[in-house]
Amino acid sequence: MSQREGSLEDPQAISLLPHLDAKIRQTHSLARLLTKYAEQLFQEYVQHQGDPFGLPGFSPPRLPVAGLSAPTPSHAGLPAPERLQLDAAALDALPPLLDVVRRRQAELNPRAPRLLRRLEDAARQSRALGVAVEAVLAALGVPARGPQPEQPPAAAAAVSTDVFPAKVLGFRVCGLYREWVSRTEGDLGQLVPGGPA
Amino acid sequence: MVGVPKPDHCSFLTLDTAVISPQDPTLLIGSSLQATCSVLGDPPGATADGLYWTLNGRRLPTELSRVLNTSTLALALANLNGSRQQSGDNLVCHARDGSILAGSCLYVGLPPEKPFNISCWSKNMKDLTCRWTPGAPGETFLHTNYSLKYKLRWYGQDNTCEEYHTMGPHSCHIPKDLALFTPYEIWVEATNRLGSARSDVLTLDILDVVTTDPPPDVHVSRVGGLEDQLSVRWVSPPALKDFLFQAKYQIRYRVEDSVDWKVVDDVSNQTSCRLAGLKPGTVYFVQVRCNPFGIYGSKKAGIWSEWSHPTAASTPRSERPGPGGGACEPRGGEPSSGPVRRELKQFLGWLKKHAYCSNLSFRLYDQWRAWMQKSHKTRNQDEGILPSGRRGSARGKRARAA
Repeated sequence: MSQREGSLEDPQAISLLPHLDAKIRQTHSLARLLTKYAEQLFQEYVQHQGDPFGLPGFSPPRLPVAGLSAPTPSHAGLPAPERLQLDAAALDALPPLLDVVRRRQAELNPRAPRLLRRLEDAARQSRALGVAVEAVLAALGVPARGPQPEQPPAAAAAVSTDVFPAKVLGFRVCGLYREWVSRTEGDLGQLVPGGPA
Repeated sequence: MVGVPKPDHCSFLTLDTAVISPQDPTLLIGSSLQATCSVLGDPPGATADGLYWTLNGRRLPTELSRVLNTSTLALALANLNGSRQQSGDNLVCHARDGSILAGSCLYVGLPPEKPFNISCWSKNMKDLTCRWTPGAPGETFLHTNYSLKYKLRWYGQDNTCEEYHTMGPHSCHIPKDLALFTPYEIWVEATNRLGSARSDVLTLDILDVVTTDPPPDVHVSRVGGLEDQLSVRWVSPPALKDFLFQAKYQIRYRVEDSVDWKVVDDVSNQTSCRLAGLKPGTVYFVQVRCNPFGIYGSKKAGIWSEWSHPTAASTPRSERPGPGGGACEPRGGEPSSGPVRRELKQFLGWLKKHAYCSNLSFRLYDQWRAWMQKSHKTRNQDEGILPSGRRGSARGKRARAA
């Protein structure tokens, strides 16, 4: 493989590797599908918490969530391998957080089976997408993990038994899931041959 | 690494900025609530002055609030309505700029009422499923948990059913380890944040509430050329086939385009039946169900199975309009409940006593009818009679058979 072929900076090089093409397209399609599901989960979640959670402009305190931050504004400017590494790390951190939310929602909304199922599915889907992104990174010859980012301090609400902070935590986690899946779709879309450079 | 994301908490107030008391209270509908929002620490601008409350996203009138001190805003709510969502009503304390300082979820509702109308059935004596009606005619507004309990009447500990919602929202299924020939006591406990209630106890023996599967292999076929009859055959439900000597069956049938079923009730423990009095040239749908009456000597009524899958068949076409209505005619020539056949039965009974035609029977009657129909068709063809009864080109007149 020539230097040009092996370079992530040159999308044209990627098109010379059909199996990698297919892998990227497939993972991008998965990310696109999960972006839709993540939006549905978010809407279902806010509906069951009641207003003001579903109101436009609702902006609760941005509680730090253990092990996970939102994509930063500078994320889009990073090189592709680093973006994908951050995507994979976030997707790997989301499942246990979604499980915490699901367990709490099982107490708060026991008669909302669809919400509980979506939360369970989201944990599984996040894991699957994370593995798929890592496979793309491996195919590109890039380690799945970069240097570990700073971990934000654990959110007090994550261990609180009070209901309102638990609702806010779930709102944050579902929001983060939506953001990271959408971010992953965008990052993979830039690698799809014929996609935006 | 370039571009490592930093925690994004620094520039926003957290939920530790203030605290609401009481936290997540449970209240009866119509009751009152006194709450406080106390600002903690010393972030700039966050004093009690300017704070306000919202409930489920709607700002509460200022007259309901009052400043208790520099850091505490109080709230008085009266005559509370039932909670809007089961996860609790969101009572939120806001800073002057609208940012959220703290929240508390209110649970306003009613205690549960006594569940009632428990009914149970056992499928093939292997399990027990029970249904009940929740006590409150309206909502309790709070999540109410229902627990079905059971125990052997004279000994044993209380057991709790674990498989809920198997036959509707208020049902539970006990899959195994049930005793026969000894009564169970069954009841339902309803619990929510405001209290609990218990149903009356239902006492039953599993053998008295047995149901079974619908009869399999239902076949419907014509009876020779008889245009108003269909023969129905089925097999005893296999799970209880060794116990069904007293079982009852019911047949229902309808014309293809109709939604009205006719039910034939008096089918005892047979596995075949003949439907009579049907319309010629008509497609019928037929179903059969079974009641395992008398299992192990039980004197109770038993519970009807579901209906079998519909089986369809059509009666032969005829030019004569068929008789209306119908009933099941058992094979073997036993009289049915139709008026013509009832009179015929009486006639045959009289004949046997007073005449020497001991070989007369329904079988012979059916054969006579088949012969009559065949010769009627032949006559119509000879006379050129069309289906509507109009005459076509005739080959010649013939006297009608007597």
